[in-house]
Amino acid sequence: MTSVHIAKRLSEAKRPGTTEVLKVENLQVSFPTDDGLVKAVRGVSYTVHEREVLGIVGESGSGKSVSSMAVMGLLPKSARISGAISYRGDDMLKMSERKRRSLRGRKIAMVFQDPMTALNPVHTVGDQLAEAVLAHELVPYKQAQARAKEMLDLVGIPQAAARLKSYPHEFSGGMRQRAMIAMAIINNPDVIIADEPTTALDVTVQAQILEKLLEVKDAVDAAVVLITHDLGVIAGMAHRVLVMYAGKPVEVGDVEPVFNTPRMPYTAGLLGSIPSLETSGGRLRPIKGTPPSLINLPTGCPFSPRCPMATEVCTTEEPVLEETDGGAHYAACHHWPKLAERADPTAIFRTNSEITP
Amino acid sequence: MLVFIARRLAISSLTLLAATFIMFFLVALSGDPLADLRESSLPDAPRLMEARIAAMHLDEPIPVRYFSWLTGIFQGDLGVNKAGTTVSSLLGGAMESTLKLVVVATVLAAVIGIAIGIVSALRQYSSFDHGITFAAFVCFSLPVFWVATMLKQYVAIEFNDWLRDPYIPLPIILIIALCAGLIWASVYNGDRKGKLTAFGIGLVVTAVILFALSASRWFADPGLGFPFVLVVGLATAAGVAALVAGVEHLQPMYAALGAAGVGALLYYPLQPMLIAPSVLTLLGLFVVAGLVSAAIGWQFGGLLRRQAIPLAVFSGLFVAAMIFIDRLLEAWDGYARALKGRPVATIGSETPNFLGNFWQTTLDSGMHLLLPTLALILVGLASHSRYSRASMLEVMNQDYVRTARAKGLPERTVVIKHAFRNGMIPITTILALDFAGVFGGAVITETVFGWRGMGKMFEVGLREVDPMPVMGFFLVTGTSIVVWNMLADIAYAYLDPRIRLS
Amino acid sequence: MTEKTEMTIKTEPPASNDAQGMTIVARTQGQLVRRRFFRHRGALVGMILFGLVFLLAFSSIGFGPIPGWWDKPWTGSGTVVDRGRPTLSVIPEFLGGAGMHLGEHPFGQDNIGKDYFAMTMRGAQVSIIVALTIGLVSTAVGTVLGALAGFFRGKIEAVIMRFTDVMITIPVLVIAAVVGSATGNLGPYFMAIMLGLITWTSVTRLVRGEFLSLREKEFVEAARAVGTSSMRIIFKHILPNTLGVIIVSATLAISSGILLETALSFLGFGVKSPDTSLGLLISDYKNAMVTRPWLFWWPGLFIVAIALSVNFIGDGLRDAFDPRQNRVRD
Ligand SMILES: Nc1ncnc2c1ncn2[C@@H]1O[C@H](COP(=O)(O)OP(=O)(O)O)[C@@H](O)[C@H]1O
Ligand code: SF4
Ligand SMILES: [Mg+2]
Repeated sequence: MTSVHIAKRLSEAKRPGTTEVLKVENLQVSFPTDDGLVKAVRGVSYTVHEREVLGIVGESGSGKSVSSMAVMGLLPKSARISGAISYRGDDMLKMSERKRRSLRGRKIAMVFQDPMTALNPVHTVGDQLAEAVLAHELVPYKQAQARAKEMLDLVGIPQAAARLKSYPHEFSGGMRQRAMIAMAIINNPDVIIADEPTTALDVTVQAQILEKLLEVKDAVDAAVVLITHDLGVIAGMAHRVLVMYAGKPVEVGDVEPVFNTPRMPYTAGLLGSIPSLETSGGRLRPIKGTPPSLINLPTGCPFSPRCPMATEVCTTEEPVLEETDGGAHYAACHHWPKLAERADPTAIFRTNSEITP
Repeated sequence: MLVFIARRLAISSLTLLAATFIMFFLVALSGDPLADLRESSLPDAPRLMEARIAAMHLDEPIPVRYFSWLTGIFQGDLGVNKAGTTVSSLLGGAMESTLKLVVVATVLAAVIGIAIGIVSALRQYSSFDHGITFAAFVCFSLPVFWVATMLKQYVAIEFNDWLRDPYIPLPIILIIALCAGLIWASVYNGDRKGKLTAFGIGLVVTAVILFALSASRWFADPGLGFPFVLVVGLATAAGVAALVAGVEHLQPMYAALGAAGVGALLYYPLQPMLIAPSVLTLLGLFVVAGLVSAAIGWQFGGLLRRQAIPLAVFSGLFVAAMIFIDRLLEAWDGYARALKGRPVATIGSETPNFLGNFWQTTLDSGMHLLLPTLALILVGLASHSRYSRASMLEVMNQDYVRTARAKGLPERTVVIKHAFRNGMIPITTILALDFAGVFGGAVITETVFGWRGMGKMFEVGLREVDPMPVMGFFLVTGTSIVVWNMLADIAYAYLDPRIRLS
Repeated sequence: MTEKTEMTIKTEPPASNDAQGMTIVARTQGQLVRRRFFRHRGALVGMILFGLVFLLAFSSIGFGPIPGWWDKPWTGSGTVVDRGRPTLSVIPEFLGGAGMHLGEHPFGQDNIGKDYFAMTMRGAQVSIIVALTIGLVSTAVGTVLGALAGFFRGKIEAVIMRFTDVMITIPVLVIAAVVGSATGNLGPYFMAIMLGLITWTSVTRLVRGEFLSLREKEFVEAARAVGTSSMRIIFKHILPNTLGVIIVSATLAISSGILLETALSFLGFGVKSPDTSLGLLISDYKNAMVTRPWLFWWPGLFIVAIALSVNFIGDGLRDAFDPRQNRVRD
């Protein structure tokens, strides 16, 4: 992947500050359905500082999107939410809907996964961008359009002025995602939540979009919560990373220590399934099995059915997130010290060739 | 766009042509046009039979008959019926009344049905939603002829009887008010306390209004009057502005109130012009009302002109419509007396030989349309509300609606600007498809209400195996359907830019 | 115009649940459908209501050679008792009613003393059979045409869809009246088959839409790649996946079938005497509305009951086949 190139860009980017912009504490989300209560998010906590890039990684269905939609306040009415989500110290879950709406899109903006469906097909791109300005500020329409053009220029769409009048179907996928990024930054937000912004795109444009995201984040001085199921993306893009499994963070820390010395078998497994990282010893080591049902979670560690290191205690007691070997590196695993003893933690998962009998 | 319309027109014409062929064939085969003469004991039956064979070209094969009919059509000749009357003269008055019925029913069913469907979707799983769903199913299952017969008996005849002494008994007032309260409460979206308040307000307001109407014997001589026009006009303007534009910025509301206020103040000055207006005068007045309102919207709108102008125009036209209705109701007393106190019509599309002023004749045609339209729109209402509910629910789950919310747009903008337009796209198709069904319904309602419309022409023609009037009927019907479909297609292309270009 | 209509609900198997880790026990599609159907209250009530009406209509006066438990014939006249008022009473005595009993003429009598209960039952029999026939024939024809158009595309599709467009230009009631007036004399069942042959347009469009989307799916591609014959692909691979849509539209075709037949009979272009149908009964007695309103009410109520119950069954089936109905409880 393009991680090397992006890594350079991240080190070029402005350093994170120390002010906490967004703080999520023990966030829990569940959905009542006919089949039972889906516990999609079961206690997520994280902090994002000014200009910081926080990566959230996890398999599909691990609750990444649900937790970020909770931050945006966009979950369906049926969702049961508890915990606290503070923007600069104010708990958004306790705010009036009106106050919340004034933060949404102005201070906290979002870029969605699928740019093909995220733009309204019946309105022009320019109108949809201008609308984002007008939602928070009473300015003449022309002025909002001018701001829209400026943003399209910034995200690298050629002939921005003409493109304002285009409809989304006249844009390619990459261009639409750029337009979405333009829409996210148009009000100078403090936080941009990017939910798998490149998953739906061609590999060739993925890197460009990520680079652009880093570039514009500095242009507006925003922090980024970058959600992905691909650890490779995080490597060059984020300052810190949070690994999610079955609705819970299982490992949190700065990118370097988490990547070099994972303290949770699931993270090690994810690392082992990235083709280009040296730690995997050149061989792919996929994690076998599927994530557990969010309605009937197994007792103990939710990863235990798939974990090669699982023991008796793993199936009875759920491990809590605790500090491992210093440096604000946390993991939720009963046996992290054993993992730490190994030279190559990813090797706990056997490669394909090793499994074949 | 023009190419699009032209291509569409060409295809539709061919389709219509093929349909006329099928119809002609089927009608010609549907029975024996000579049946009545064969059984007849008249001495000159054989001679009459021969004459009819010659007149209807029964000795020629059906395709030949079809082509001579077709050639006739292109020369503007619709043929003659068995009795020798030209189809064009039969069509003359019939076409007008039937098309009026069909168009009024379609438009009303669409507007009301779509509105109900949208509210139902926005309040999914509420008691309003459940109630509407059930009502829609019942409407789907009602035979039109049964409903029409029932309306005729119970609504028209008994309502006319009631009008002799239009006093609403207290229990009835209470029951209606209770229902109104329940509807209010079910539409209100919020906690129990709010629902209770909504219920209370709905109940009291309805009860008071009904009581006042009953006590003042309003139904005997209805009318609105200046205070009503002013108050309701302003209240509606304020309510719609709050609903559509919100109360954060008040310019759109001022614009709407301004337009409604100016309109209402013109109530007295306009009266002389309304004594005996022509249709053109009325249309002109409406256009002026729209333009003046737009100017008011532009003036008051400020930075929110894009919202203020439509709101002002709506408010202005609403007040104009109220003044129109007020004037119409003023004619009621005289009209009802002219009809010996039985104003709700049950037969025909107009009172024969009725001579009244503009208002009375308008009222007359309205009263005749009332029940047939009511019978006709039930089914359409149900299907439009179901489809627009499904469509809105589908749209509200789309990613772009989530994007719109993520921008921080208020929910009403999300619904009005992002969901509504997309939700209407599939509805245009349904509207086009359902239109043909309305003609079928019109045939039935016309029979029940004894209209001498095209439905009658079709029915009699078919019974007597007389292809010419049946084909005349179908030509008009088919053409209307094709034209309507094209309007729907244009609406579709207007709503959906993805179609527009290809 | 044709492509845009598929507003109806797609029936794709709920594949994503597995991927999202939500499935607890693997259930077959059939089990899921049954479970969802029986959870649908309207559908259950509809089933029971339809079953009752059906049983009542066919067991009371019997059908064909099989005798029923009601002793009065639907053809014979008799003496008019109490101006022909219905003797049916459903309010028990302790509630101040006349007790629960059928009486001599539960639905009353007409002016020449015919037993209206027997007549209504006969009308219901005919109307039900006609509606079922219309529904089945139109669904069968529509499915075949839609499948051909959607699967083979090209010329076949063009011809079929143009023909459909032509048929849509003619209001159903109009063409049905023409067909009914041509075939009504040949008995209600033959007429029903003919009516089925002209009311297939909506099923055709639906099935074609389903086929269009399914033929691009991987499993069809795979079958084609290994050289499976077209017929086999249609019958083994695609058709089973469109079953939901077909069953739902068959139900709806039945409910519109009964409304169509009764309307035609009312206009005089449907079932002809000496046989009768619910629509014909209303037509025959519409002038007795003031003097004997029950002659108007009973057949109407039966039409509404039948159409409503079938519509509810259809709604339940639609929900059952529609996986998106993994409803969230409020
Ligand atoms: N509205 C909802 N109702 C029921 N379950 C939901 C809803 N939204 C999400 N879920 C469930 O929550 C879980 C987490 O989903 P999500 O956050 O989208 O995962 P991801 O990590 O892939 O973004 C999934 O199992 C999903 O099925
Ligand atoms: S707690 Fe046990 S099962 Fe869970 S990750 Fe650690 S070793 Fe594996
Ligand atoms: Mg996701």
